[in-house]
Formats: sequence, C-alpha cells, structure tokens
Amino acid sequence: MKTANWIKLEIPSDTRNVAFARTAVALFASQLDWTLDELEDIKVAVSEAVSNSVIHGYSLQEGVVIVEARYEGPELSISIEDFGQGIADIEQAQEVGFTSIPEERMGLGFTFMHEYMDQVLVASEVGKGTKVTMVKRVKDVES
Amino acid sequence: MQYDFQLEGQALIATLRGELDLHTSPEFKDTLTKLFETHSTLKHLIMNVKGLTFIDSSGLGVILGRYRVIQERGGRLFFVQANPQIKRILQMSGFQKISEFANSTEDVLERV
Repeated sequence: MKTANWIKLEIPSDTRNVAFARTAVALFASQLDWTLDELEDIKVAVSEAVSNSVIHGYSLQEGVVIVEARYEGPELSISIEDFGQGIADIEQAQEVGFTSIPEERMGLGFTFMHEYMDQVLVASEVGKGTKVTMVKRVKDVES
Repeated sequence: MQYDFQLEGQALIATLRGELDLHTSPEFKDTLTKLFETHSTLKHLIMNVKGLTFIDSSGLGVILGRYRVIQERGGRLFFVQANPQIKRILQMSGFQKISEFANSTEDVLERV
C-alpha cells in the first residue's frame, strides 16, 4: 500500500470556503488513522488558518487561497497560503489574544493552531502574503 | 447553520444546529445583538449547543462579544449539552471561567 498522498486546492477568498477547506482537508486526512478528536483538531486548525487568510490576508476582499495537504507515513503536513497583505510582526500575531480587530475577534486563531497541531510554521512578507504550514503526526497507539 | 431563539423571563435560549464559523457567525451575531438591544430586561444567555457540530474562534468571538452585555446586566452565560469537542474548545478558550455547563435548559432555568 502507498504510504504517501497529497491534495492541492485553489479557492477564492470567500467565507463560504472556510467550511469547504476544513471539510476537504479532514476528509483527506482521514486516510490516516486519527481519533475523532484529532480529526476535529485538524478541522479547527484549518478553519483558523483559512479564516485568517480571508479576514486578515485579504480583508474579506477577493483573493486566492491555496490549501495543500500531504502525508508521508504518519506525518500530515497542511499548508494554507494567501497572497494578501502579509503580517508585519509574525511573533506578535501568534501571541494569545492578539488581534488586529479587537472588537470582533478573540485573537485565538494561532493559539488553536498551535494547540491542535504538533508544529506550526508561519512565513509572511508584508504586501506579498502569508503561508502557514502545520504538521500533525499520528500517535503510535502501542507506544 | 440553523438557530432559533426563545425568551424565558430574563433568559434568552439560543438553540444552535450546524457549524458556527466565519461564514455563519455574522448573521447569528446580528440577530443575537438585536435581541439584547430590543429586550432590555434580558440578562442571561443559555446556549443550547447540542446540535452544534463545529465552532472555531470566529464563532466563539460572537458569544464572547455578547457576554460583555450579559456581564453589564448582571446575567450569566450557560452552555447546555455541549459535546466533548465543543466543551474542549470552550475550555481552551477560557469560557469555563465566565460560563457554566448544564445538562438541560430546564436545569438552567431553575438556577436563574
């Protein structure tokens, strides 16, 4: 049996596509042996990353979001990329409770990504966009 | 996402079904906000989340936003029949400090 697989989605920056992206990635991820809680974790993490692209990357305007997911063996890697305004201070953006829209947002998007995934990497350049890469490994139930 | 509201004295019962995220939360937020504006005697918000299958920070932000009004009016926030995933994300976001979990709306109505 093959132990690697991948998908790539290119979707418009539209709030409706947040649910589509998380569901599609969770469906793909379900080819690996996750618990139901872990699949929910993946859905939340993807939802947060795509929401960030739509709200912050593109300020709810038109744009393209690239969603890629791949696994090799037990390691799932998901990347969410936009070509929007980018993040000036990546460290600050990942602080618990930090948000650029305090009246509407809780500032917990990155917190959830870090909590639910094993690894989160953020690459961003102001005016060019942001790419969030998240990794989660299937736990070895016998260890 | 589907929701309906029921007024019970000083409490508003919001029953949610489906997923509360960036797309579905603005309409829910507007309806909830208007209800609290229209009914100045409303103090408590009872979120019946038995049918809620997904929530992320966008949905949680809407509830937190309304909590500020509840707090101003001396009310309480309840989550009824939260499934384990919903309970986990609520706890992780600190909602256990500002809200209470319950098994039924009847239980809550006896408490407020």
